[in-house]
Amino acid sequence: MSINKYAYEAIKAVVGEANITDDPADCMGYRSGPGGYESGTGYERVMTRLPGAICMPRTTKDVQEIVKICARYDLAFVPYSTGFYGPRSHPHLDDELIIDMKRMRDFEIDAEHFFITVQPGVVYSQIQQECFEHGAYVVVGGGGAQTSAVANLLNDGWSPLSFRVGLPQRRILGLEMVMPDGEIVKFGSLADSDDPFWGEGIGPDLRGILRGYTGLLGCLGICTKMAIKTLPFQPVVPEMQGVSPDTSLKLPEKRVKWINFTMPSLKSIEDAHIMLGNAEVGGAITKVPTFWRAIAKASCKEEFWDLWLKETEESVANFFLVRVMIIGFTSEEQFDYDYNVLTDIITELGGKERRTKPSDESWFKNADSAGMWLMTGSYVSVDYVMDSFDQAFKQGPNYRDLKDKYTPPLMPDCKDLGWFQSCEMGHLGYYEYLIYWDQREDTNGMDQFYVDSAKMNVRNGAYPALLSSHQPLYLTGPAYGPNYHNWILGLKKIFDPKWLSHPPLPLAHDEFCRRAAWMHDIADWPVPDEFPYPDSLKKKMAAAHGDI
Amino acid sequence: MSVIDKNHTDRYDTPEEPFALDINDLGNFRYDMQHCIKCKGCYWVDHTYMPGVHHSVRCPSNLWKEFDSYCAAGKMRIGLGMLDGKVEWSDHLLEIIYACTLCGACDVGCKRNLDLEVDLTLEAMRVRAVKEGAGPLPVHKDIIKKIEKTGNCYGASADRNGWMDADVNPAEKADIIYFVGCSSSYVNQSVPKAITKVLQSADVPYMLMKDETCCGNIPFSVGDLDTAKKIAEANIAKVKESGARVLMTGCAECYRMWKVDYPKLLGIRTDELGFEVKHFIEVADEALAEGKLKLTEPVNRRITYHDSCNVSKTCDPWEPYEGKRGWMGCIEPRLDRRRGKSGLYDQSRELINAVPGIDFAEMPRKKENALCCGGGRGAKQAFPEMAENAARDRIEEVKFVGAGTVVSACPWCLSNFSETAARDGEKIDVLDIAELLAMAVK
Repeated sequence: MSINKYAYEAIKAVVGEANITDDPADCMGYRSGPGGYESGTGYERVMTRLPGAICMPRTTKDVQEIVKICARYDLAFVPYSTGFYGPRSHPHLDDELIIDMKRMRDFEIDAEHFFITVQPGVVYSQIQQECFEHGAYVVVGGGGAQTSAVANLLNDGWSPLSFRVGLPQRRILGLEMVMPDGEIVKFGSLADSDDPFWGEGIGPDLRGILRGYTGLLGCLGICTKMAIKTLPFQPVVPEMQGVSPDTSLKLPEKRVKWINFTMPSLKSIEDAHIMLGNAEVGGAITKVPTFWRAIAKASCKEEFWDLWLKETEESVANFFLVRVMIIGFTSEEQFDYDYNVLTDIITELGGKERRTKPSDESWFKNADSAGMWLMTGSYVSVDYVMDSFDQAFKQGPNYRDLKDKYTPPLMPDCKDLGWFQSCEMGHLGYYEYLIYWDQREDTNGMDQFYVDSAKMNVRNGAYPALLSSHQPLYLTGPAYGPNYHNWILGLKKIFDPKWLSHPPLPLAHDEFCRRAAWMHDIADWPVPDEFPYPDSLKKKMAAAHGDI
Repeated sequence: MSVIDKNHTDRYDTPEEPFALDINDLGNFRYDMQHCIKCKGCYWVDHTYMPGVHHSVRCPSNLWKEFDSYCAAGKMRIGLGMLDGKVEWSDHLLEIIYACTLCGACDVGCKRNLDLEVDLTLEAMRVRAVKEGAGPLPVHKDIIKKIEKTGNCYGASADRNGWMDADVNPAEKADIIYFVGCSSSYVNQSVPKAITKVLQSADVPYMLMKDETCCGNIPFSVGDLDTAKKIAEANIAKVKESGARVLMTGCAECYRMWKVDYPKLLGIRTDELGFEVKHFIEVADEALAEGKLKLTEPVNRRITYHDSCNVSKTCDPWEPYEGKRGWMGCIEPRLDRRRGKSGLYDQSRELINAVPGIDFAEMPRKKENALCCGGGRGAKQAFPEMAENAARDRIEEVKFVGAGTVVSACPWCLSNFSETAARDGEKIDVLDIAELLAMAVK
């Protein structure tokens, strides 16, 4: 298996012989899974294919030329930054080209104006340390410090540190894209200058299209450069301490502090989120899944289960802990003020401060997503949503009840309510529901739960984040649009009429549902007899996956 | 009733799978290969220790060639393809497998979060290559022949004790037997001279092995376990015959062989060898703590320390394991996983900082995050460009912290840094830690 040899030679002329390969062993090194995000799922087994070739461009011009060559030879491609994001960032057709962006790692920091400019090969932990040394910080997305900041911000970008500036699209400033036809589009202030400081203007603000609320996973071209807003921090660079696996950042005690509070009820945790936002103090507030505490305490997988299986539905339902970070952004006095306001709020709500380590193991520089796999081997966030607090608080019970039906194969979690937090200084609620399983189980139930949860949200009128990229577009489009699906497909038709940029997104999950027999009963929404692909893609889909 | 049974795990149907930490069968590591999530903890420095956009990579192989196939995450996928018959042997596949120093960076990185057995998987891939007749590479076969013929990996016919001069006074009988190793015996003779000088100044008695031969590092590392096992058995017999309580090496590669890979080859625990294995760093540090080693002569240099891989992230003691993996991947019996925590990180720094006049600077990649020099485990012999590339990257880091001297604890690092620096015209000094200490004793 390989790509068209003329296309290969043309791309080789762009990137150099050392930066392109179609060797079978190299291609195997780029296979999706079998571990990782959505590992072992039906989606992965049904939809992903080995690449036909991989190339590694260095510049935007390289990317532009590669994409034009792809257009000339009708060669489907998928942009790829770190490869962490599971099956959805891997080829779905035979003989696709992976455009691996890791050599694009230019980095500039404008410390005075609090922004950085990066290419897709730069990961969050690198950025965070550079920012620390200039009195700033960035929100390292829950995807983890090992993710490409560009890819993560196009698709995700939340963490408890989103408390102050939550919406990821608000942190994306000037942006450069190579469209599927090879045209370069510059967004925001980059449209008429080289200064990417402003996301909204002068040029069109198309960030919403790119993110499609949460990401189109490279099906509308390739982002080659992004300016990212940084946030003012405090001046002391946190000290790195410990030897692996017990490493953490020692926080400057008079400027940054995580504090855990035991609360009397779930309602009091919810109130703490709202009141802290109203008071406009702090750097983060969150209620995380209860079993994360067991992960943090356990030294290995087996110890995690020793700890977690001592819990019961009752003990989990009656465990109320809220985690807050305060930061002395401007001074120690401001830190003290925030601490006093925080303790007033917690006291009023009947909470009590617990001893908390004076360190950060996760969110600033690690965002320990990799550790999330330890318990079961397989994990996915089935939903994340930014909406009102009201919705964020309600989603926990909704998911808890639905998940029961799919446990097993999902992990027994004692009906934990999941994760919620406050963003935008209390103006937004954030909810995320994470599910875990062992991929060696029959995972059909996991695939069904994913879609069943989308249907649940439609029924409840809850607005989820994973619309076009991760859920069937013909299910969510009519429900949330009513013409959202037509709009997305219209965009695809205009910008990528040959569907070369990561096909068959944005209809990949629709394809999965009609190709996986175990999804047929649950896929009860109307879909057209034929998907609106160009003929060339229909042939490629049939070649890769067979006729419907 | 176990905690798992209480939780109605009968509703789950995960099969129980027997497995062993045995590199003779790549199938033992199927679970590990299936559960790599491509977080690339094998590639990046521990994110907590990430120094910024520079000096951020810890894998010498993937630093050289940047396709994912050259990082452990890619190799885990390729290994699975090998098991499932989806990858065929080719020169390119052999390059992917062998252009790697087995430095353990990927392993310690993975065990930060996932506890997958990466290093053992890479070793098992090489064993499989040999068993299927694809490996090792011709240059490795040549080295193995030289070892068999001459007892050293260079094929040198000269006296192995040629490094000894009139100042070297080993005891006839002592608790410590000093295993010199091929590199120190033939190429880096300043190292054993320095080691013996330091030991003698501290009044630490030592003896030398009669008819010392190669430790077998390269045969083992390239997957020729039969040859490596014979060497291990012969060498262990010599120590037992000597009556020594401690086998001391001055070479990190030899240290790992004796402490980890010999027990692995023989299916025993490290503490079942019948003697302790120590690196010179440990012996010198103990002498320093006891007040026997007196470092009095100033060495006025700005230096930095390179944590040689096999005295850091790979040297946890070995313990054979056989068990079953069941529900949610939990294993029984429990296993104290090797996560690289036994590294001689503190001892080496205590010694360096005890030398008067030293201006010590840490490099951004330190301890378990140190980038391998690229010189070990047979990789340099087959892929000198890879080895040079790693050393060059590390030398840039030495210069970044303003050091004029880099100190390591392995003669293979010494060679690779020295040769690369000389080739590139770099004005840095490269020293073994023993050489530094020897400067500081009277």
